[in-house]
Amino acid sequence: MHLTNMTEYDATITGNAQILRRQRDSRRHSLEQFEGDGGARVITLEGTEMVIGRSPDAQVRLSSKRASRQHAFLRLYNTDCMLFDNDSHNGVFLNGVKVYSAVLRDGDVIQVADSIFVYSEG
Amino acid sequence: MPVFVKFWGTRGSIPTPASWTRVYGGNTPCVEVRFDDTIFVCDAGSGIRELGKDLLTRRPAPKDLHLFLTHSHWDHIQGFPFFAPLYHPGMKIRVYGKQVKDDSPYQLLSGQMSSSYFPVSFQDLGDRVVADYLHEGRKDINGVSVNAFALNHPGGCVGYSFARGASKIVYMTDNELELQPGELFPDLEDAGPLRQVPDDLVAVALKADLLIIDAQYDEKSYAGRIKWGHSSCFSATDLAIRAQVKNLALFHHDPEDTDSGIDEKVMSCRRRAARHGSKLAICAAREGVEMKF
Repeated sequence: MHLTNMTEYDATITGNAQILRRQRDSRRHSLEQFEGDGGARVITLEGTEMVIGRSPDAQVRLSSKRASRQHAFLRLYNTDCMLFDNDSHNGVFLNGVKVYSAVLRDGDVIQVADSIFVYSEG
Repeated sequence: MPVFVKFWGTRGSIPTPASWTRVYGGNTPCVEVRFDDTIFVCDAGSGIRELGKDLLTRRPAPKDLHLFLTHSHWDHIQGFPFFAPLYHPGMKIRVYGKQVKDDSPYQLLSGQMSSSYFPVSFQDLGDRVVADYLHEGRKDINGVSVNAFALNHPGGCVGYSFARGASKIVYMTDNELELQPGELFPDLEDAGPLRQVPDDLVAVALKADLLIIDAQYDEKSYAGRIKWGHSSCFSATDLAIRAQVKNLALFHHDPEDTDSGIDEKVMSCRRRAARHGSKLAICAAREGVEMKF
């Protein structure tokens, strides 16, 4: 398509597509947390980094004694969300595999101590 | 001290960017093996581009990189010209040959950057890329014992093990574990005994913390690709079981494999290991995943 030949209609379509793409890229990532017998809790990832652990300062608080105080953290890189094990005692599992760090993908299941998280991409 | 392994490219044959490769990744082979500050790079497929970008963000910045190529097929070298440390003063990339004065891997990369293929000349990189050598397939590099071994692949291929103390990582890609006469194949119901595999490869992988292995095919797809130089995931699993490996990463995913197809392959291999009473942990190598041993 040549811009010089673009009709007003074409320009609107292109503009809308760009807006939708930007909205998609800025959507927030989220975790659904399952711990104990309680129901799921949805956590929207705020800022560029969040700590998962037993510490009162952790953005994602865990109650299990198997969790380290700052067990793991999530960090945003561009539109990707990365998971890091913070050299915890009991490790971090991604879809059942022990990992040290990973780029998360939609539907990933993360296990930290006794909590299970299901990740949803922004 | 622990060893870290990070997968930067896990796909075989050709980069495969697609919605259905989003989880395991579409970049061709590149694996980083890191012992403290010593960084080994296995293969220079398209995944090496992201590794290069990441290396430049690390502090302290790494100065010495040790590059080991398995062979010259395109999917294992195509990322090299896009490896950012090539253009970064202060970096040195050592490209290893199997024995003294074997600079064939170095020459290969040089040829790939001739003007017919790429706008930047290899000569312009100066001494940032140098040829280095193993001695009869072995060398101690900063306390890590590196061992090269031959693999079964058209045109030849070399695998590598990296060991220090009790830690051992083995990179064994582009290798066909051939069926032996009388073996059950295709073992679609997973009913057969462990297959025979080469003793020398079992010895190399013995009790490894992690074996990264060519498992491009499932039983059904391997049936149509015998002698193509890649293995069935069942044969790969059998080798790992025989070698008492602790963790197995299925690697060199077929360009046609979907993420869910790779999941299926992993599950079938886990069932096979369990049926043989093995505690082997099996996963599929996934781009962007780092493991610590």
